[in-house]
Amino acid sequence: MAFLYDTQSLFQRYLIKLFRNPTLLGTNLFTPLLFLLLFSQLLQKFSLFLPGVSGGYLAYLTPGVVVLNAMISAPLGGVSIANDLNSGFLSKMLLTQVVRPAILLGRLFTDMLVVVMQSIISLALAIALGVKISSGIPGVLLILLTVAFFELALSGIFLAIGLKTRKTETISAISGVIFFPIIFVSSSMFPVSFFPAWAQTISNYNPVSYAANVTRELVIGGLSASTVFYAYVLIGIIAIASFAATLYQFRKVIS
Amino acid sequence: MPDIITVEGLSVVYPDGTKAVSDISFGVKEGEFFGFLGPNGAGKSTTIKALTTLLRKTAGKVSVAGYDLDRSPREIRRSIGVLSQETSLDVDLTGRENLRLQGRLQQLHGKILEERIEELLKLVQLEDVGNKPAGRYSGGMRKRLDLASALIHEPKLLFLDEPTTGLDTQSRVAIWEYLEGLNKKQGITIFLTTQYLEEADRLCRQLSVIDHGQLVANGTPSELKAALGGDAITLTIEDSGLRSRAKEILKTIQGLTNISDSEGGIVAYAKNAGEIIADIVTALQASGIRPSFLSISSPTLDDVFLRQTGRRIRSDELSRRETEPFLV
Repeated sequence: MAFLYDTQSLFQRYLIKLFRNPTLLGTNLFTPLLFLLLFSQLLQKFSLFLPGVSGGYLAYLTPGVVVLNAMISAPLGGVSIANDLNSGFLSKMLLTQVVRPAILLGRLFTDMLVVVMQSIISLALAIALGVKISSGIPGVLLILLTVAFFELALSGIFLAIGLKTRKTETISAISGVIFFPIIFVSSSMFPVSFFPAWAQTISNYNPVSYAANVTRELVIGGLSASTVFYAYVLIGIIAIASFAATLYQFRKVIS
Repeated sequence: MPDIITVEGLSVVYPDGTKAVSDISFGVKEGEFFGFLGPNGAGKSTTIKALTTLLRKTAGKVSVAGYDLDRSPREIRRSIGVLSQETSLDVDLTGRENLRLQGRLQQLHGKILEERIEELLKLVQLEDVGNKPAGRYSGGMRKRLDLASALIHEPKLLFLDEPTTGLDTQSRVAIWEYLEGLNKKQGITIFLTTQYLEEADRLCRQLSVIDHGQLVANGTPSELKAALGGDAITLTIEDSGLRSRAKEILKTIQGLTNISDSEGGIVAYAKNAGEIIADIVTALQASGIRPSFLSISSPTLDDVFLRQTGRRIRSDELSRRETEPFLV
């Protein structure tokens, strides 16, 4: 019971913090919208190369932008834990009777909620622009579950880095450096068939592609069980590895 | 009164090999106002972190609030309140929200918690600003809120790590008054570290002086001062050759004790300082030595410190704050 109570207390804390920082919240919510509007307008003619896709490039791009949400939110938890470490607030929490994993879990729930909110806004904008979600409401729920799970897996990487380095700058730098290549060399933004062979190979192994493919099949149709299966297995492996690293670093910090 | 803290042979060695605390032993009685006095880097913070379960000790047997440090850290955390050297509040949360979070993490619920929050805001006189974000508070207000949050679960033992470092005089006196009230009226045992002698002198009934990770003196402030052997006589003699000659001369004077160097001068102690001063001046003049300054004062804890460690706690040392990370 204490574990649930503590997780809820900390979830509330992070949520209040988030809403007290409107700039951060706004940038997080609206960056994907900017991508959606900008790319769908600038690259309108891509629709000509996507004859089988109803809704054209905008419909193709929408799932990519939804997955982008997960990548934008993933570093937030790491930044937050590094700040708490440096300010002494983590020590203060550790001096209470808090069930310690709740400190991490409260944060993870907050970030997952942000991703779900971002994704709902992105999907709403896409629908307003004329995209039809072929799989309907159940499909939307599965999309939200998929991005939330993807965000969770990625956030473990940044939590581990935040606990290890205690530097928010490091997290920003790392996320900035890996962000663009893995987003663009994947099937999230552009059709892979446009890429040179080496980039196609990278894209085929890129987890971002897997998450984007599930989402895309849910938006434009043609969902296959194997796409979902492989995506969830891959994301699950990332989650296990990143949280093993996070828990290892967390134990080092708290003992 | 039984001991609420017992420490036997406590040592803390950091992973890089630094011996922060070496084999110290002491006890703190229930209801005591206990002071741990020492300069920066002496091992005060390390000791507090070890006693409050934040830092793993290397050796020793420690019991806090009746619980063994190794076996029952969670029970210890339930019984103690800790005010860290760095004020640690969530600056995005209001005063009330900070206290509420702290209370919930201490497993308080509902109405009991809300009543406790109001009681504490009143105690530290922040009830008017309780709904403002802590980030907008002054340094003194933050420290008071931090103190309130350490008290949320009504601990019987309170650890304070340099609670007034970096505060202005007015805020410092305010914190002192709260602490005196907590100790006298509510019977909370207080363990305080400080590098301010004035603070230790005013608040603490029992003191330990720590330097280089080792305890160098124990006792009440008056016992420690009395051990010096009377009033302090300070002479300033700029020339170092004359100074060492003067020291030899002082050693021949009956009734002077604990003669030692003190930055550009000599300090010595005597019970009948007023009478002996004539003897000192006469003896020095006979050798042609004229001190440029001479004073008599009641001994302070600074004199105790000088006697035990060979140096004074200087004001420039006070402004240099420890920058070691809180968790190591």
